[in-house]
Amino acid sequence: MTDVIVIGAGPAGLSAAAVAAEKGLNVLVIDEYMKPGGRLLGQLYEEPDGSWWNGIEESAKLFNRAAEAGVTIKLQTPVNNIETTADGIWSVYTEEETFVTRHLLIATGAAEAPVPVPGWTLPGVMSVGAAQVMTNVHRVKPGNRGVIIGINVLSAAIAMELKLAGVEVASLSLPGKNSMTEESADPRKVLNSLLHVSHMAPSPLVRFGSRFLQNDIMKKLGVSFFPKNGVKMWDIPVQLRKAVIEIYGENEVEGVVMANVTSDGEVIKGTEERITADFVCIAGGLYPLAELAAVAGCPFYLIDELGGYVPLHNEQMETTLKGLYVAGNITGIEGAKVAAAQGTTAGLTIARNSGIHGLVKEIQLAIQSIKQTRDNASIQFHPEVKKGREIIQEKWEEHARALEGTGSEVTSEAEAGG
Amino acid sequence: MTDFEMIICRCEEVTYGELIKTAEEFNCTARELKLRTRAGMGYCGGRTCRPMVDKAARGPEISKDTEITLKYQPPLRPISFGRLGGKEK
Ligand SMILES: Cc1cc2nc3c(=O)[nH]c(=O)nc-3n(C[C@H](O)[C@H](O)[C@H](O)COP(=O)(O)OP(=O)(O)OC[C@H]3O[C@@H](n4cnc5c(N)ncnc54)[C@H](O)[C@@H]3O)c2cc1C
Repeated sequence: MTDVIVIGAGPAGLSAAAVAAEKGLNVLVIDEYMKPGGRLLGQLYEEPDGSWWNGIEESAKLFNRAAEAGVTIKLQTPVNNIETTADGIWSVYTEEETFVTRHLLIATGAAEAPVPVPGWTLPGVMSVGAAQVMTNVHRVKPGNRGVIIGINVLSAAIAMELKLAGVEVASLSLPGKNSMTEESADPRKVLNSLLHVSHMAPSPLVRFGSRFLQNDIMKKLGVSFFPKNGVKMWDIPVQLRKAVIEIYGENEVEGVVMANVTSDGEVIKGTEERITADFVCIAGGLYPLAELAAVAGCPFYLIDELGGYVPLHNEQMETTLKGLYVAGNITGIEGAKVAAAQGTTAGLTIARNSGIHGLVKEIQLAIQSIKQTRDNASIQFHPEVKKGREIIQEKWEEHARALEGTGSEVTSEAEAGG
Repeated sequence: MTDFEMIICRCEEVTYGELIKTAEEFNCTARELKLRTRAGMGYCGGRTCRPMVDKAARGPEISKDTEITLKYQPPLRPISFGRLGGKEK
């Protein structure tokens, strides 16, 4: 039996694995992808201080540290189920083998939310994350000229990455409004969410908008005055007043139909125009990929500030189930540095719960370090992420009190079970 | 192509129109919508359409904030029939 199993070789999982192994535990990391690094692999952007964040290099550092500490990493191995038995042993099921452990960390990261647009099943339509991986990880151009549907932090960052790779981005625009696109199709809500992400990477857009946005009335004006042809961000037109209402093509993407929209996102008839493109990216934002925590039976809370449903957990990264931990984007959508800091904390908590003494202070410092990393993050996916973190902490405390009320014992090791 | 004809669940080929009409007609929850239309019940296990089926649903969910509306079921990834049956390749 392995002391610790980590599912997910992203920044959270690799950091946790390295720390736990450095404390003397034997650790197995399982990931379904063919390379270690998770979503960190595709990241490439300039930090506010002018330095570059290169995901491939950062992933290699994390991987080397884990490997040196003796961590075993099993790639191309999807986990399709996890289960616990009464004696506190977790079984981890993959197609070929079943692994067992007493300490299981789920660090499966995030998934991309879909934005349905007519024609989106044509070849040449992909998620914006797929375009990022093709370009930055596999070094293959997704096409020569693309249109990105969905305006958010992630799509703005990836638009710039495409441009760096010499791929033309014809437009960054909204999806047409329907009952599934909702907020991502509302110019006012989109502008508002972009503007609150103060130190977000595409700062020219923020600077442009913030002049208009002193109060709510101005917010409306901000959208109304938004130039019909968009503002340019690194030469890419950002179009808050245009929406893609259809993707067209005979056998593959040939272009999109775009139309002007009102400040509420309603299409203005007669303004439709065709824009040629050979690929289209769908950018609906990210949500925590928590499916394994769900089959394990963790209680969940829907917290928009964290990007969706998150499993109940405490600051030490324990869930309510004995021996089950979570770290990284499964606990809420944030940048890679925060995910890594959470992983470090989880690794230390697992070491302590495995009987290694003298870690209390180190765990406290690790928790502090998550907060500091968050405060200094150069990329922020939700403006109210701190509020989201407070909500889940309150829910944890409520849960602990409820258990006390029933006479069950609650320890810092979350032995209460559930 | 209109919104109504666009495919939402690719595995089971369920359109936006079908989902919206079913949700309206039966005022149904995400789970009922899934069972009525088969959206999310195909090969991939709803990996793409799950959030959209959730959004199309109308009926009152049981404690929507604390419970995931559409249940996750193992296996979370496709497995070959041979493996499932326990038969050697
Ligand atoms: C498309 C995309 C682009 C992003 N771009 C940026 C960006 O530019 N900047 C930024 O700061 N953040 C970005 N993020 C956010 C990103 O999630 C974090 O930066 C960080 O990578 C999260 O780390 P993590 O360790 O929690 O998860 P991840 O890095 O996502 O790693 C999770 C790992 O778990 C594996 N996994 C998941 N499920 C299973 C399973 N069932 N079985 C086996 N393995 C599994 C995955 O293969 C993956 O390798 C992006 C996220 C996505 C999805």
